[in-house]
Amino acid sequence: MADLSTQNPCGLAQRVATALLRAGGGTTACLQMPPLQGDATNAGQIGLNAPGFLSLPLAPAVFRKSRVAMQDGQLPKYELLISADAVAAQVTQLQLSSAQTLFSMACGVVVAGKLFLIEAVSASESQGAAYLYRLLLQEACGEWPA
Amino acid sequence: MQNTKDTFYITLRSRLAAMNPARTMTLRAVTRPGILVGEAEAPLPQPMLDAFTLSWTALQADLQLPAILTQMTCEIQYSTAGTQTNAGLDRGRCLEEMDYEVLKLLYPYSAQKMNYTQNPAAALETMVFWSEPEFGPIVTLRDRLSRTAKVTIFAFEEQGEQ
Repeated sequence: MADLSTQNPCGLAQRVATALLRAGGGTTACLQMPPLQGDATNAGQIGLNAPGFLSLPLAPAVFRKSRVAMQDGQLPKYELLISADAVAAQVTQLQLSSAQTLFSMACGVVVAGKLFLIEAVSASESQGAAYLYRLLLQEACGEWPA
Repeated sequence: MQNTKDTFYITLRSRLAAMNPARTMTLRAVTRPGILVGEAEAPLPQPMLDAFTLSWTALQADLQLPAILTQMTCEIQYSTAGTQTNAGLDRGRCLEEMDYEVLKLLYPYSAQKMNYTQNPAAALETMVFWSEPEFGPIVTLRDRLSRTAKVTIFAFEEQGEQ
């Protein structure tokens, strides 16, 4: 049977999450987004042209190591917790359909000058609205220009 | 060798665009034929569905000839979860369609070698040849079916090539 009770989201969970992330040492993470006008040339598809990624800042965010690397040769993994308010602002600005689209378009995340690859994205929700996004990241092997 | 790899990819991409214009993907804000070179794109956590991903693996060189003959292995990996219209129950049919497309993409088994570092691309003097595909078994991961087809590409290294 459908739940017909009235629930009016008031944004409380979003504000609490944002405040907690900021209080917990909030930092800024930059999503690496493809340029608005993509490179449709042959050179752009065979690795000749620089991709010209745009840096999309998301704040407040908390960055932490998710677990210690236990296997030889395996790079450590990290977690990035991002305020849903910050994500929603960028989704609106870029006129995207959802936060999932935003993250699926991103080619990585730069935190404190280091590039990380996005392995998985999950969202925590309250009353049907996301208040926190959790990104599972892996450190990229390549150097990233500071 | 890079010219060989570029020629192979762009030949297959052009053939795919002509054969099945509906097989497209959007990658880095560009909608293009559904085929990509894995090493020329950002790493993806999951293989792209309903698109062909080329990976270059083995390399051998025959130095006993007047020009070096290179032999490279390209793995064409493709996956599908079927269509949303059929709730994924047509994933077997979609994979079979991609199998058939691989066969058609590769024929004829040669192309003029090109240098794409120049604009416009310059034709080189030799051809690039490749073998018939060697299809691997279907790999099932939940609702996703994947297969890898291996192709061996042969090309002579011309003087002046990097």
